[in-house]
Amino acid sequence: MPLVETLIIISLVPALVLLWRGPTAWDRLLAYNTASNRIVIVICLFAVATRKAFYLDVAVGYAALSFLGVVIISRFLERGGGHR
Amino acid sequence: MTLAAYIIMGFGLSFVFIGSLGMLRFRDIYSRLQASGVSDNAGLGLILVGLILHSGWDRHDVTLLLLLLLLLITNPIVTHSISRSAFVQHHREEEDA
Repeated sequence: MPLVETLIIISLVPALVLLWRGPTAWDRLLAYNTASNRIVIVICLFAVATRKAFYLDVAVGYAALSFLGVVIISRFLERGGGHR
Repeated sequence: MTLAAYIIMGFGLSFVFIGSLGMLRFRDIYSRLQASGVSDNAGLGLILVGLILHSGWDRHDVTLLLLLLLLLITNPIVTHSISRSAFVQHHREEEDA
């Protein structure tokens, strides 16, 4: 179980590289979405590993909020915000 | 840790790494979206399935199922909305230019 967690955390690095390097704002938005999806999975792994059930609710809340955030930011960018 | 859960999570992990490799390798925003959206969905979904099968069924697996459902529904929506906003904005710039 800890192995899977560390591998997922290692797989966060490419998302952060894309967040840093991405030429356009949409690459960064995509990197943010990918990173937060993986963080949700790390929280779930941690919850199952330590037998603490309330962390699962944290993961569900975080997944829902990050989904909202990304959709709202993409609507904002679509309206020509940020770089017009 | 039952063996089946471990194997399923292994597959999920390989999908996640393939996705992050694709995310960095591709040049265009749309192909990056394709790479990361699809493989993220499959990989993280498989890991969640592995977690559900981890130690038999207990009452907390309902939350895991909810999370799997949430992931499988919201991830495509997010990928669509990002690619739509990129397309509309690029299209609008071409019109102005």
